[in-house]
Amino acid sequence: MGFLSNLVERLGPAQYVFGALVVTGVFIGLLLVFILVRRMLRRRYLEQRDRRTLVIRKQWDALVAGTYSPTQWRFDAMDRDIVESILTDRLDVCPPEEAAQLMRLLRTTGLLDTRIHEARALRGWDRRHALVSLGRMRAPEAIPALAEALDDPDAETRIAAVRGLGRTGLPRAAEPMLERLRFDTLQVPERPLLNALLNCCRSGPAVLVPYLRFADDRFRPLLARLLGEIATADLEEDLLLLASDPLAEVRASSARALARAKPRLALTALGNLAGDDEWFVRLRAVVALGALEDPRTIPVLIETLCDQNRYVRLRAAASLAALDGYLEEIIQQVLRTRDRYALQAFVSELERTGTLPRLVEALTDPTRQDYAEDALLGALRAGTQRHLLDAMARHPQAKTRKAVARLLARSQEQRLVPALERAAATSRSRREQRLARWLLAHLSEGGIERATQKMPV
Amino acid sequence: MHEFLQISNNTLFVYYLFSNLIYLGLLILAIASSAAHQRRLGSIKLERVKQSPFVPPVAMIVPAHNEAGTIAEATRSLLALDYPEFEVIVVNDGSTDGTLEALTEEFNLMQTDMLHVTQVESKPVRGVYMSAKEPRLLVIDKEPGGSKADAANAALNAASSQYICVVDADGVLEPDALLRVMAPVMTDHRRVVAAGGIVRAINGCRVEKGKLKEVRLARGPVEVIQVIEYLRAFLIGREGWAYFNMLAIISGAFGVFERDLVMKVGGYRPAAIGEDLDLVVRMHRYLLEQKKDYHISFIPDPVCWTEVPSDVRSLSRQRARWQKALIDVLWRNRDMVFNPRYGRIGMVALPYQWLFEMFAPWIEIIGYSTIALAAYLGVLSREFFLQFLLFGYLFATLISVGSVLQEEITYRRYGNWRDVARLIAFCFLEHFPYRQLHMWWRLKGTIQYFRGDFKWQPMRRVGFQKN
Repeated sequence: MGFLSNLVERLGPAQYVFGALVVTGVFIGLLLVFILVRRMLRRRYLEQRDRRTLVIRKQWDALVAGTYSPTQWRFDAMDRDIVESILTDRLDVCPPEEAAQLMRLLRTTGLLDTRIHEARALRGWDRRHALVSLGRMRAPEAIPALAEALDDPDAETRIAAVRGLGRTGLPRAAEPMLERLRFDTLQVPERPLLNALLNCCRSGPAVLVPYLRFADDRFRPLLARLLGEIATADLEEDLLLLASDPLAEVRASSARALARAKPRLALTALGNLAGDDEWFVRLRAVVALGALEDPRTIPVLIETLCDQNRYVRLRAAASLAALDGYLEEIIQQVLRTRDRYALQAFVSELERTGTLPRLVEALTDPTRQDYAEDALLGALRAGTQRHLLDAMARHPQAKTRKAVARLLARSQEQRLVPALERAAATSRSRREQRLARWLLAHLSEGGIERATQKMPV
Repeated sequence: MHEFLQISNNTLFVYYLFSNLIYLGLLILAIASSAAHQRRLGSIKLERVKQSPFVPPVAMIVPAHNEAGTIAEATRSLLALDYPEFEVIVVNDGSTDGTLEALTEEFNLMQTDMLHVTQVESKPVRGVYMSAKEPRLLVIDKEPGGSKADAANAALNAASSQYICVVDADGVLEPDALLRVMAPVMTDHRRVVAAGGIVRAINGCRVEKGKLKEVRLARGPVEVIQVIEYLRAFLIGREGWAYFNMLAIISGAFGVFERDLVMKVGGYRPAAIGEDLDLVVRMHRYLLEQKKDYHISFIPDPVCWTEVPSDVRSLSRQRARWQKALIDVLWRNRDMVFNPRYGRIGMVALPYQWLFEMFAPWIEIIGYSTIALAAYLGVLSREFFLQFLLFGYLFATLISVGSVLQEEITYRRYGNWRDVARLIAFCFLEHFPYRQLHMWWRLKGTIQYFRGDFKWQPMRRVGFQKN
């Protein structure tokens, strides 16, 4: 010791550095020990938990039936945690009969009461954890404790309470949140709130309607958006009212919900919304019209295909391309619009959705041949030359290549000429060169009927 | 001269002390912040979030230049991500190695007449392709722009989602990475305008069909030291800065941004050397000028695994480029420094970048020089010098071991204890001669910047380990 104190004295001002050096060295050593000990303890904990889970799983049926005494597991923290975890996981997926049995177990063993107490008495992360766990128990008696936490000064706790209420999945659990929203006393981020309300109201969307009727401009778009996701056909009168709301967000949500209404009512309202001043309302209306899959939507969709907004055009094209049985009529109507952007959007969609390849395949199907030919001729005039030339040159079936070549020759489409000339001159495949020359000859002769050369397919 | 050396040594001591104390503070904050994040995640349940109809759509943007060998696999891996609504936009930036052909073959691409409206600056687009197999895939073929920023801008113009996520073509994302990085957006989307995930070194890991199968530590010392550097930079640095909403960079390899905001600030700057840093600083500037309430988050658990240089030459080029990028951005935004209008960013984050990042190699070299000079003049206390050196060494080691500890108690990607032991061992070994080399590379970068040498020099890649 004397040697050490002498050494420290001799160091002078450097003794502080020496001290710091020792502290740092010790600290690093402690960190290393901490990592090693933690790994060891963690492994031991996981092994023990695994063993206990197996024991409880073996006794599960007896435990649920109440013949395995709760005193055997209830007062051990790990066992209680395992049982609660299995129970709540099961509640998420089990049928109603089993749920009733599990709820009875939660109540009789006091697990529910413990969580309610914790949700009220604890603070910080422990309280937040208790709130979410309590929600997962899906018990109506948990709602008051969860609702109390909505008024907590801490934002994280309020969010945990919202999540907990959402996890219950009970329409009644939405009411405390809706009440506070109505009086603007609930301060939580929008998305967790929407998710929680969605979970609660999914089985009873009608709970939203009275709040929606009296909601102010801040609150109404949020509720309308929610209703847009979960509305059922029996709420269509309310949805029609929302379709004429002064707020664009509300009209957009109404359009979204109307996709699930009866087409008889929805068509007129969606037709009006498709001509709305706001692009996102029109977009929602077009998506909803597409979801109806009704040929009566074609005129409105053709109109929106010429919309000034790109996203509206694209969705209109997608909705039109999905109406598979009416493609010929649609293509003719699209051509009549003489709108370059509309044509582009529609042709891209036909390519992207694989409609064109399907039509090409149908050329060799006697039952669909006429329809496919008419539709493809229309599509050709709309601008799908490249795709059809590709099919003619590279389709694996010779029969299909031949059918496409005949169709192209019959089309008399002079816009094919530059691409064919290029192919005839530069293509690496001799077959493709011969085919290009054959088609060029027929396009200049005036059609397949006057063809004299044999087709080199 | 003696007086000069005295002042110089004192200044360097204070500088050094502050630098390490800041890092120590960040380490403590990062540990607390990570623990809070873990607890928060426990109550969110990502599986539930995924089922929500309110999950915002994301456009994954993949700039690709001469990536024929890996692009199909990388795209397939992105399309397999666990996220309810997203599109993948691959930009072939004038590749000459058949990148587009590789994609065409794999995904049956078809050229479409889709209109490509240029809202943010990029080189002309040669064609837009859609896949007959995969409706979520869009491929843009464009003239070479010479930068990732130019390619990302082309994709920005075509993206239709509310959020964009730019990823490297050679990066491997964990399946739930997108879901995790979007967690702060989903929790508080009105405030969170961007979020970055962590980037880690894939060297040494086992990858099969674009998926990470086993996490292992690389064998080469250059790679292991980089693993520690990445842990320190992300798990301590970024986590700590994000805690105060002062994050100045979201890695270009993996980050999510609000598309409208990126458009408002003019997209990526094609001439930027470090487009990621440049974009985030411009976003801060715009939002602070508009007096918006916003947050730029860092999430420590969504991982993007990327190949780091395995040889010293590639590493030196990379670090010189990072230094050039830093100077470029800091110089362009010098009016923000100590300007109260830019709040914490102007008063703390940017001055820190100037003082402790940009000037660091210069101050370090001045330190070495004055020590050498003092020794030459015989005024250097050998005892004090050695102990100071030891103290510095141990303090820096403490920070490095702290970052390994942070990884260990939170995310534990390195399951094998031998890997952890090697990581800790390298925490003690990285200070000599790596630190001095690093200083030299950064000095070279500074000189290159002022000479106007912005040439991109490729990194030598060894590819992902298969066995």
